[in-house]
Amino acid sequence: MDLLVVDRVVKNFGGLRVLNQASLVVKKGTVTALVGPNGSGKTTLFNVIYGLTPADEGEVYFRGKKITRYPPYQIYREGLALAFQLPRLFNQLPIMDNLLLAAPVNSGENPLRALFTRPRWQEEERALARQAREVLELLELTPLALRPAGQLSGGQRKLVEIGRVLMAKPEMILVDEPAAGINPVLARKIYATLKKLQQEKGLTLFVIEHRLEVLFDFADYVYLMDAGRVVLEGTPEEVLAHPDFYTIYAGESRPWRVL
Amino acid sequence: MDPLFYLADTLIFIGIFSLLSLSLNLEFGLTSLGNFGKVAFFMAGAYAYTLLAHAALPPYLCFLGGALIAGLIGLVITLPALRLREDYLAIVTLSFGEILRTVVKAEEGLAGGVRGISVPAVFHLGSSRADALANILLTLGCLALCFLLLQALAHSPYGRVLRAIREDEVAVKALGKNPVYFKASVLFIGSCIAGLAGGIFAQYLNFIDPTMFLPTVTFLVWMMLILGGAGNNWGALLGGVVVELMNRGTRIMKDFITLPVDPNNLQFIFFGLLVILILIFRPQGILPEGPVKTAARKEAQNWISSL
Ligand SMILES: Nc1ncnc2c1ncn2[C@@H]1O[C@H](COP(=O)(O)OP(=O)(O)O)[C@@H](O)[C@H]1O
Ligand SMILES: [Mg+2]
Repeated sequence: MDLLVVDRVVKNFGGLRVLNQASLVVKKGTVTALVGPNGSGKTTLFNVIYGLTPADEGEVYFRGKKITRYPPYQIYREGLALAFQLPRLFNQLPIMDNLLLAAPVNSGENPLRALFTRPRWQEEERALARQAREVLELLELTPLALRPAGQLSGGQRKLVEIGRVLMAKPEMILVDEPAAGINPVLARKIYATLKKLQQEKGLTLFVIEHRLEVLFDFADYVYLMDAGRVVLEGTPEEVLAHPDFYTIYAGESRPWRVL
Repeated sequence: MDPLFYLADTLIFIGIFSLLSLSLNLEFGLTSLGNFGKVAFFMAGAYAYTLLAHAALPPYLCFLGGALIAGLIGLVITLPALRLREDYLAIVTLSFGEILRTVVKAEEGLAGGVRGISVPAVFHLGSSRADALANILLTLGCLALCFLLLQALAHSPYGRVLRAIREDEVAVKALGKNPVYFKASVLFIGSCIAGLAGGIFAQYLNFIDPTMFLPTVTFLVWMMLILGGAGNNWGALLGGVVVELMNRGTRIMKDFITLPVDPNNLQFIFFGLLVILILIFRPQGILPEGPVKTAARKEAQNWISSL
């Protein structure tokens, strides 16, 4: 089943055409990877899918529903979650709170419930704390649970960013370069966990990844982007065996000039 | 003069200003919403209370009605600005304060315009001492209730979302929450509390006129919050007490020492200087913000200590 469909999306920044009729499909239950040279528009495509950047043309569908003009919080409620390339943590809040804020249901976030149904949301908070602990154990951050996120190193911030989308328990996650800034051992562990969630829970993953060796182990399907459009697609073996792959992948992507 | 009346006056003004500073803490301290028109919602509550009291409604309905009317005005005025960049909220609230005062000044029929309007007292207990005591109880009772309410909100998942909005609104959106909804609810609650303070103020003084609602009121409230500690309800309360006492101190001082400047002006120079010094040397205020305390934090403390 086609879970996510991106149909001929165009995005211009001033005179730069950063996305130029980009189209792709992510099938339910797969790990799909998006690769491409720096500046080819991968992050921008994620931002368009997630409603953070409005598309100039084209449509995005999730589970067959058009989500092109949805704000991010509504897209999240449809079952999609995004981990930013540059982590956007709540720096003054503890890591724990950063994770709790990603939970899909927390009735005490309603001001009236916060005042009048305290025992109920306190119970929910305890349950969420246990879920957060599982995420923290996985990311090897448990002892730091109550540290303000602003005190973390770059790699740890990235881990918390990924931890937040795991807390969200969505149907599909978008992760922008999950392994960037994380030591290789932990990076493999994160990938292994994501893969496990895919296999056991049917989670769909759409990742932007730079390192090709990871693709063979983890990706079911690969899209190669160049200058704002998808130029190659297939299984990792097919794409990497393509005669044009390395020239494009190693090249410098220049967005199209339209004005 | 009977010292009881001076004590009553001090406590009641501390109560009124602490309510304002607590409401600003919810808005600015937790959510970083720069409300520079606090006095407008205070004024709206005072006039709404007065008009309802003249319509012979029972006092508790006047307080409630005044608070709700101020809350709704706060919501309606700020809603358009909440979708825009944050500085628009500052512009909108600041100008609303001026507009409301100008309108009330010009409007003669309903609330007396520049001449002001009398406000019926709630308490007629037979002696003015008993009335003063009742007024203290009323004010401090309202303060205690609002404090508990705001403290419960600050240490709940709702309060956590507010702090998250202060840190990074885009991330809040990406995690499935609509910041506009939260900010609107904050300005509604904050304006309700400011409105309640207005009702208490009007009722206690038995008379209000537009000159009582100058922008200096907003300035004093900001001063209280910054000094006491933005983000902390105890800090907002402490700021209310300290600034109001300093305010009175300078007024008493005026009777004992002669200065080349009017002490009332000197006071504002002093307060301005104090704000600058705090922002340089202790930007978090006297009582800095603590973490959100819910059952989840207790759980985490338990597992960390057992590691
Ligand atoms: N907000 C923006 N304003 C202007 N240009 C942008 C903006 N965001 C991205 N770009 C440009 O769009 C191009 C693609 O960026 P990006 O999507 O981040 O690439 P990738 O993630 O593939 O490295 C780059 O040339 C970048 O400079
Ligand atoms: Mg990128």
